[in-house]
Amino acid sequence: MSANIAILPIFLPFCIALLFLVWRSTNALRRTVAGSLALLLFALSLKITHQVYVSDIIVLKVGGWQPPFGIALTIDLFSAIMLCLSTLTAFFCLLHSFTSTKQKNENVLYLPLFFFLLTGINMAFATGDLFNLFVSFEVMLISSYALMTLEAKGKDVKFAFSYITINLIGSTLFLLGAALLYAHTGTLNYADIAQKSQDLAQTPYFQITATILFFVFAIKAGMFPLYYWLPKSYPVLSFSSAGFFGGMLTKVGVYAILRLFCTILPHNMNFLHNFLLYFAVPTMIFGVLGAVAQSSIKRILSYHIISQVGFMLLAIGFFTPLGITAAILYIIHHILVKASLFLIGGLAEKVCGTDELEDMGGLWRFTPIIGILFLFQALSLAGIPPLSGFWGKYLILVVAVAEKHYAFAFFSLLASVLTLMSMLKIWLGAFWKPAVKKPQDLKLDSWQVGAAVLALMVCCSLVIGLGVGHFYELAQQASDQLLDQSHYIEAVLALEGATP
Amino acid sequence: MNLIIAIMTALLFGAGIYLVLEQKLLKILFGLSLLTHAGNLFILSVSGDPTGKIAPIIKNTAQAPYVDPLPQALILTAIVIGFGVSAYFVVLIFRFFREENETSLEEVFTNNER
Repeated sequence: MSANIAILPIFLPFCIALLFLVWRSTNALRRTVAGSLALLLFALSLKITHQVYVSDIIVLKVGGWQPPFGIALTIDLFSAIMLCLSTLTAFFCLLHSFTSTKQKNENVLYLPLFFFLLTGINMAFATGDLFNLFVSFEVMLISSYALMTLEAKGKDVKFAFSYITINLIGSTLFLLGAALLYAHTGTLNYADIAQKSQDLAQTPYFQITATILFFVFAIKAGMFPLYYWLPKSYPVLSFSSAGFFGGMLTKVGVYAILRLFCTILPHNMNFLHNFLLYFAVPTMIFGVLGAVAQSSIKRILSYHIISQVGFMLLAIGFFTPLGITAAILYIIHHILVKASLFLIGGLAEKVCGTDELEDMGGLWRFTPIIGILFLFQALSLAGIPPLSGFWGKYLILVVAVAEKHYAFAFFSLLASVLTLMSMLKIWLGAFWKPAVKKPQDLKLDSWQVGAAVLALMVCCSLVIGLGVGHFYELAQQASDQLLDQSHYIEAVLALEGATP
Repeated sequence: MNLIIAIMTALLFGAGIYLVLEQKLLKILFGLSLLTHAGNLFILSVSGDPTGKIAPIIKNTAQAPYVDPLPQALILTAIVIGFGVSAYFVVLIFRFFREENETSLEEVFTNNER
């Protein structure tokens, strides 16, 4: 049963989390096992991607129930790509946390919570059922709340409340949206909803339902004006967790929006697509303006997440095949670059003892390697060719001009310039300015291993930038598959193979 | 029947949103749990008007119209999740109280803004 592989990205991290919940001694062996298991998960995701690429959408009818009854795990190419990215980012963030935290300082609950978080994220990518998506969001959120409060130092815990409260309200809204959709169509399976809702697109009740669901995912993605929780709460985290949160969690929201628009809803819901377009622009601009105004690395990078989500939403909002391709390519680029920027910030903080730009400086002189790593990723984020960020932005511009939305093209260019500006702010503050502290106060002996891990990560995003042809082709196939609703419906609801 | 549920849902939502907008953390906690209950009641209404329908325990082929069981399964899941989250929130408030000696967000954020 080759379809059975679809359960592994959910089941394995869950088992690993349980293992580390029981295995409580923090020693080198525990870390080695955790790292190699994370790498194994990445290899598994690659295997799944390969299988989807060469054959077709994987549909696992859990318990042998024929869809629409029971839960069908459905992995198409886009899900598979997201699985690869989540496991790869998890691997790097784990390694970084191992290099930056001493063994005796590591909380025993860190590893189990991390893998529960990964379980939730992978389940969100692999599931083909709206209620199961709700459950996976909850798994993901509860572990993220716990991880956030575990890492919040002392009085910082108050900043976690905005994150938790807005997400709890979002969950309630999600329940409402799922219930309304069930009332309209009598089903919760993506494919079955898609099949039954084709004629409903213009009825007002259905549009309200779609809007509620869209808003829920927009909260998770951090769309304007629902983003204020993000830059307040992410700086509470340590750099290695912030890398994972910043790279993956908001992108789960973006994934859900893409899935909602392309797979679940009928494609002629123009008002929602326009809505997305007009809200994407303020998301880009306000996010980056927030970043320019901040004065610590973690807060600048947190605001940047919002602005980057704006780019993705803009690309989705055009809702043309090229737009969806651009969004997918942008997500592929963004997750790696964003996570690695946070991790590089972690290295800089370790050397300087703080991440407030006022008190940093001189890193270019003492640790030029960190500077080079940072330059690669910062320029990539700003969109300088031939780094990976350029191609995503270029495609988005091409789509904007092709659709004759010149104002949107202008605003995305403006946001890119401002991105470069805030990156320069980090560059000047942390790297180029003469050191505020005396050289003997800098911890110059502790960053080499972390830099080696990050060099590997930077290489990964360089591969994306230089070999963009292959990734473009992959993104194109993924978007073709996403937009082909009838094929998805056929693959999930096909009667043959009903018995396990 | 559905009218009663609709009114109840609206009341619970109203009260929940009012409480969530308060500054005291305990009120926010109660607001959130009211919102969860409102959501659960709403899902219940999705299964339609239950008058004259039997419970979906089907023994043989002789069938009366029965109530849609799926929303109830959804509610059960939602209740469990809501319970877990509430328990977590209570512990978080306790931690907050130990750090700040205070359970009002307003006090904490106006006194030491960073």
